[in-house]
Amino acid sequence: MRRLQAPFLFLLMVISGQALPAADLQALPEFLRSDPFGAIVAPDRSGADLASNLYGTQQRVMLTGCRGGYVSFHLVVKLPSPSNYTLEVAIPDRANKVQIDLFREWFHFTDSDRHYYPDALIPVHATYSSRLPEPDNNIPQQTSQAFWVDVYIPPDTRPGILSGRAQLKAGAKTTILPIRLTVLASIIPGEDVVTIDHNSYGSSWLAQQFVASYQHNPDHWFESDQFFGLVHAYHRLFYEHRGIFHQLGYGHSGKVAPEFAPVLEGSGRAKHITSWSLYDRHYGPLLDGTAFSACRRVPRPIPFVYLPINPEWPASYEFWGEAGYEAEFVNVVSEIERHFREKGWTHTNFEIFFNHKKRYKGFPWDGDEVRFPKDLKYFLEYGRLLRKALPADTPAHFLFRVDVSWDMEQQFEILKGVVKLWCASGGILSFYKDAPKMLRDRGDVIWYYGGPPGVTDSSAAITEFPLRAWLWGVNGYVHWLTVSPGEDPWFHFNGGQTALVYSGERFGLTEPIPSIRLKIQRNCLQDLALLDSFKGRKSLESLRAGAARRYNHSSLEDWWNPRPALADLPSDQWLGSAIDDATKHTRALGDPGASGWYNVHQYALSLQAEAK
Amino acid sequence: MKILYLIVSLLFVMLGTLKLSRNDVPAEMQMELDSLARVGSVMVDGDVCQKIVTERSKEFLFASDPRDKFLAGDNYDVDDVAFNSVKKTLLRLSHLVSYPADVNLWMPIEGHPGKIQLVIRNKNEMSQFWSWGELYGDMLPQMETVLKTGRRVAVARKPGWISVLAPIHNSLGDVVGLIEAVSQVKVDAHENVK
Repeated sequence: MRRLQAPFLFLLMVISGQALPAADLQALPEFLRSDPFGAIVAPDRSGADLASNLYGTQQRVMLTGCRGGYVSFHLVVKLPSPSNYTLEVAIPDRANKVQIDLFREWFHFTDSDRHYYPDALIPVHATYSSRLPEPDNNIPQQTSQAFWVDVYIPPDTRPGILSGRAQLKAGAKTTILPIRLTVLASIIPGEDVVTIDHNSYGSSWLAQQFVASYQHNPDHWFESDQFFGLVHAYHRLFYEHRGIFHQLGYGHSGKVAPEFAPVLEGSGRAKHITSWSLYDRHYGPLLDGTAFSACRRVPRPIPFVYLPINPEWPASYEFWGEAGYEAEFVNVVSEIERHFREKGWTHTNFEIFFNHKKRYKGFPWDGDEVRFPKDLKYFLEYGRLLRKALPADTPAHFLFRVDVSWDMEQQFEILKGVVKLWCASGGILSFYKDAPKMLRDRGDVIWYYGGPPGVTDSSAAITEFPLRAWLWGVNGYVHWLTVSPGEDPWFHFNGGQTALVYSGERFGLTEPIPSIRLKIQRNCLQDLALLDSFKGRKSLESLRAGAARRYNHSSLEDWWNPRPALADLPSDQWLGSAIDDATKHTRALGDPGASGWYNVHQYALSLQAEAK
Repeated sequence: MKILYLIVSLLFVMLGTLKLSRNDVPAEMQMELDSLARVGSVMVDGDVCQKIVTERSKEFLFASDPRDKFLAGDNYDVDDVAFNSVKKTLLRLSHLVSYPADVNLWMPIEGHPGKIQLVIRNKNEMSQFWSWGELYGDMLPQMETVLKTGRRVAVARKPGWISVLAPIHNSLGDVVGLIEAVSQVKVDAHENVK
């Protein structure tokens, strides 16, 4: 019988949840999620060998990070039998710069595969006492509790080495994990190289997810300080995680919720705005940046926001095609422009965006994902109306946005000069390798869209979207829905493909809480910003190629699909199944497993070492 | 004829009063909606309504493909001239009442008895019968009554809601669809903003 090598034994212990040399307290890299019984969840096991990379000699946890960013890892408390415990994490820093954020990981039971996955992160104090099984998570025979540790290194931290420790007290036993944090001189750029958007629709979901707050004041909750504070908290949470947040304020037939628009009165040429009260309470702190004044990142106005403009607002569709429609639209949009200018809200892109689809029966043309070319005449007409409404020299940025899929190639031409922000289906955009450069060269913004991976995918699956955006050379990526975790995310989870944040109300909090996937995405964005910052020394193409190779052994060409024959057919002859067939090549890239992003991160760190 | 009309009206007011106690919908509200629906029955042009949904939409309405769950929706298309013409009439009709109301257009689906399709919705996004997102649904008995008899029918299906269903005729005198004049006692400003 061959002797088992030490790394192999280590790997076995990690996968199976057997005790590590550090007894009851284990540190795991961010990409290895533990289940409530101490084993690595199945989708992350392919990266289990990463576990040993976190440890140095004497079982010391070795962390390395650039300034202006985060270093993250998991701590797993393991107790063989029910017991109380106290966990404490500290990295003392004489200058008091480095900050530790500790989160308890909630184990969601997913109905689809009847397993537990950690995702929601409940903020706790750096000294946390509880017991196992964790009373509120209600898992029979739970023997492990995982914690997410964020170590924040401000830009003005002095480079060098800091020592700290994680300490577990359980009964008479104390376990200590020494931690060494190496603070590198490099500073992660504050600006992101890709915009990651987290989309949502309306506000009614807030009343459902913060039901206690809502029930306290059901008649006036949507006008209350609590409500607006909550909306701002969502924006802050995404901003702190290097993302942005969108809330669409109208329905498919044009109903606008009050907090998303000024109040209108009158009809025809008499139509005008009578009140900005709710709109300004909603958006004022977001558009002047004061909503972010307590953030670690530099406070700034939100870069993008939807306007309430739709075919039924501000002009009534009753008058479509008539002088009254034009009068209502032009007069009110002119008033909006004047208000923004007077308020000094000139750092945000205000999006004119049509979300409706004719299948939802409100209007006879598709605003979203136009398939039938005859619908494009409506966009051209709105372009004309906008030009008439807006002064040519307005300092406010109004941006006509369309979400495109079927015939995006034709729309890039037909709507040239009208549309400035393109949000494209990732699958179909992958046919048109030259499109991002062509659009950016003419001053347009190009994003692509999709949905978040679920918790049953590998931990690093979420990194594919920002990476693809950067490799493709597009400006951003949109998660189409990120605030909808389902009816019971806590005990009957749907997997989280429409949620990256959760309500904190269950835990006595008045704000949303983040997820592991959101944290991993943020750390990925840090790495991309760092990688991109080296383009003065290496070509951007070689940086991208290096990242792609390390991510999943791919070349840059692998991230594009060959132009299919169907691209030359009229888009109303395409079939959804044919689009699937035409995107086979990129779908075969597959999930790089838990270690995919770790390798890119190491690449970024190696480049910063070279730069030094 | 006038006497018959008076009797029917009286009966209707009595029924409306019954609804108030059962469903919290004031009788005047229901009466206004009924008047609206009556006018709508005359004003909405059934021939134009029949031109709205395209042949392509009809062809794909019940199509399915395990590899393409959006097949029917992705092929849903309408004649925008006909749609706009009818929608404008529906919007104007909604001004006949003193409170927020919608007038929606429903059409039966040829060759599929028992099924009905919402064809036009309106700005308050109200309907007692539409399940959000569906292309077509099951025909309710009250809808069938309207289509078969040409009579208006009031329906209070959800607490605080009232719909009056009224027939739409084409130039041949056939009942080709129905309008749903609908309102709520308490409008939810955030419902269906999604």
